[in-house]
Amino acid sequence: MVPFSMKCPKCGLIQARNPACKVCGTAVGQAGEAAPSSGAAAPAARRVEPPPAPAASPLPKRPAMPLPITAGADEARRFTFHGSGGTLLGIHTVNVLLTIVTLGIYSFWARVRMRGYLLSQTEFEGDRFAYHGTGRELFNGSLKAGLIFGLPLALLNAVPELLDAGNAVKTAAALLIYGLFMVFLPFAMVGSRRYRLSRTSWRSIRFSFRGRVLDFIKLFIGGSLLSLVTLGVYYPIFEVRRYAFMISHSYFGNEKFEFDGQGRDLLWSYLAAVPLSLLTLGIYWFWFLAKKQRYLMDHTSFATARFHSTVTGGALCLLYLMNLVLLLVTLGIAWPWVVARTTRFNYAYISLEGALDVAAIQQEAQTASATGEGLAGFLDLDLDLG
Amino acid sequence: MQTEWHGHYLDGRTALSQRATIYLTESGLRISLESGRSLSWPYGEIRQTQGFYSGEQIRLERGGEIAEALLVSEEDFLISLHQFAPKLAKHLHDPRWRGKRAPLILAAAAATVGIVAALYFWGIPALAAIAAARVPVSWEERLGEAVISHLAPEPARCADPGRSRMIETIMTTLTTPLGRSPYRFRVIIVDQPTVNALAAPGGPIVIFRGLLEQTRSAEELAGVLAHEIQHILKRHSTRALFEHASTGLLMAAVAGDVSGIAAFGLETARTLGLLRYSRRSEEEADAEGMRLLLAAGVDPAGMIAFFETMEKKDGAAPALLAYLSTHPGAEQRVEKLRTIAQGARQKPIRLVPNYDWREIKKICPAAPKKG
Repeated sequence: MVPFSMKCPKCGLIQARNPACKVCGTAVGQAGEAAPSSGAAAPAARRVEPPPAPAASPLPKRPAMPLPITAGADEARRFTFHGSGGTLLGIHTVNVLLTIVTLGIYSFWARVRMRGYLLSQTEFEGDRFAYHGTGRELFNGSLKAGLIFGLPLALLNAVPELLDAGNAVKTAAALLIYGLFMVFLPFAMVGSRRYRLSRTSWRSIRFSFRGRVLDFIKLFIGGSLLSLVTLGVYYPIFEVRRYAFMISHSYFGNEKFEFDGQGRDLLWSYLAAVPLSLLTLGIYWFWFLAKKQRYLMDHTSFATARFHSTVTGGALCLLYLMNLVLLLVTLGIAWPWVVARTTRFNYAYISLEGALDVAAIQQEAQTASATGEGLAGFLDLDLDLG
Repeated sequence: MQTEWHGHYLDGRTALSQRATIYLTESGLRISLESGRSLSWPYGEIRQTQGFYSGEQIRLERGGEIAEALLVSEEDFLISLHQFAPKLAKHLHDPRWRGKRAPLILAAAAATVGIVAALYFWGIPALAAIAAARVPVSWEERLGEAVISHLAPEPARCADPGRSRMIETIMTTLTTPLGRSPYRFRVIIVDQPTVNALAAPGGPIVIFRGLLEQTRSAEELAGVLAHEIQHILKRHSTRALFEHASTGLLMAAVAGDVSGIAAFGLETARTLGLLRYSRRSEEEADAEGMRLLLAAGVDPAGMIAFFETMEKKDGAAPALLAYLSTHPGAEQRVEKLRTIAQGARQKPIRLVPNYDWREIKKICPAAPKKG
C-alpha cells in the first residue's frame, strides 16, 4: 500500500505527501522514510501510520491506487449525520407500542435503540460511532437510583407529614431535601456522562470520563452559591467551569480532551446579552448562544487537533424557528425530522483541525455503572454528549 | 454467489482500521488482513451490532465487552451470508426482510393509536374512578384544606353571622336527602369578583362574590350548591388527580426519550385531553345536582334560570368565561336540566322564606351595592 501521508521529521506534523513540510519547510525527500509502508508491518501497536481510507467508501474492489487524502493536517475533519427522520419515526413508533404494552418497562430498551441509531448514523473520518449500552443496564441503573436516591427523598417528604411533626422539623426536612438535590444533581450529571461516554466508541475505541464526582459536587455547590450571591453575574463563569470539568476529564482511548477557556472571557458578552435579549424579545439570545458555542468549541482540543465552530446566531435562530413551525404545523409528528435536522445542523458547523495521529490511539476502556444515568432520568436531565 | 468481500477490521486495541478481505466458508468467515494476518470467525460467535437500516455500515463483532469488529459497507454482504450459510447465519439481520418492516411499523402505529385511544376514553377514567373510591375521606379532607388555604385564605372570606346562617340552612335542606354522608359540607364565600364556584375535595365549597351577586334567588344559589355537592360526592377532584397523573404517564410513554420542544406540544395535547374529562364531570354534577334538588323539594326553576343567565352572558362578560371554559355548552346544559326537572314535585318548598335575597347576598361588606 502506498502511504498517503507523511510525518515531518523535524516538527512531527502529519500531513499530505509533499516534497517539503508545509509548516516548517523542511525537505522530506521520499515520504516512505517518514511514514513506513504499512503493507507488511504486523505489530500495529504504536507505529505512525496514516489513518486508513474511509471504511464506508462505497467501492468494494477499489484499485490499488493512492487513496483520497483524509489525513492532511490542513484539512478540517468533519462529522456527518446520515440518519433520516422517517427511520427515526419508525423506531419511535415501535418503541411507543412496546413501552405501553410492557407498562413502561421497555422504555429502557427503547432508549438504547434510539441512541444506538443516532450514534451509528454519525460518521467521522469514514467510520461510524457505536453505542454499547444495554436496556438491562439502564433498567438496573434506574432501579438502583430509585433505591439510593428516590427512597430517602420520599421518606424525607412523607415522614414529617405522617408524624404530624412541628414546623421546625418540617422546615429542617425541606432544607435537607434541598441540600440532597444540590448533591444529587451534580452526581447525576457526572454519572450520566461517565456512563454514556463509556458506552460510546469510534473504531472500537471507547470514550471515557475520569473526573471525580466529589470534585464536581464541590464545583457545582460552590458555583451555585456564588451565582446566587452575585445575583447571577457569576453564572457564565460557573457554566464555563462546568463545561471545562466535563471536557478536560474526557478521554478517547488513551488520549485526553483539553479545554483552555476562561469563564471571564464570556462574562461581558453575557452581561450585555441579558438586557439586549430583553430589548429584542429574546432574539438576541441566539447570537449570544452562537458566540458561546463557538467559544467553547474553539477552546476544546483533542491530542494535537483543535475543534472549531463556525455557527452563527442567524443560523441558530433560523433552526429554532423552523423547528417550532414544523412541530406546530404537524402537531408534533415532525419531531423525528426535527431531531435529524438539528443533529445535522450541530455537526455542520464543527470541525476538528490540525494534525491527528488516529492510529496511535490505544484502547483504554473504563468501567462505569448506570446508576447516575438512572438518577439523571429521574431528574429529567437532558444531557448531551459533548 | 459472491463469496469474497471487502471491508475493514478493528482489533479493539487501537484506532487503526485495517483493510480486510472476507471469504465466506462453510463454518464461518475467514478474514485476511492487509498486515498479512488471517483470522477465522465461526458464524456462531459473530454478533451484529449495526447495519439494520439501509445506508448503515454493517458491523459484525466477536469477543467480549471490548470486541473485535468487522465493517462492511454493502448490504449485499449480508444477503450472501444468508444464502451461503442459511442455518448458521440465522441470528444475523437479513436486509431482504426490510420490505416487511413498513407494514409492521404501520401495524404498530395502528395498534398504538388504538391502545392510546382505549386508555384515554375508557381505561384511564375507569382506573381513576376505582382508585378515587379507595382514597380515605380523611386524605381528601386534608387535600381540600390545602386547596382552600391557597384559594380562599382566611382574610378574603366573607362571614356575617345572620347571612351565613341563611346559607347554612340552604345547605342543610340540600344535604338532608343524602342521609349519612362521610363528608362535612360547608360553604365559604370569598370576596372576589370572579363569577365562579368550586368544590374542594372532602367537603368545602367555595363561592366567589361575583357568582353570588349573579344569583337572583336562594333557589338559584341552591342549584349551584347542589352541583358542587355532587362534585364532592362523586370525588371528581380526586379522580381528576389520578387522571392527570396517568395521562402524564401515557404522555411519557408516547414521548419516549424526547424532551424540550416536543414535550411542550405533548403537554398542550394533554391539557386538551383533560378538558374532556372535566366536561364529563360537569355533566355528571349537573344531572346529579338537579336530582338532588328535586329530592330536597327545591324548585328546579332556580337552577335552570341561573344556567340560562350564564348562557346569555356567555361571551358578553369575560369574567364568565372562566366558569364556562371547562364546562359543557351552556345551551345543552339547560336542555338536559329541563329534561330531568320534568319529574319535579307539584309544590316545591320555599327556601329562606320571609327574607329578601338581595339583602342576604350582600354578605361581603365591601361588595359594590348594586342589584
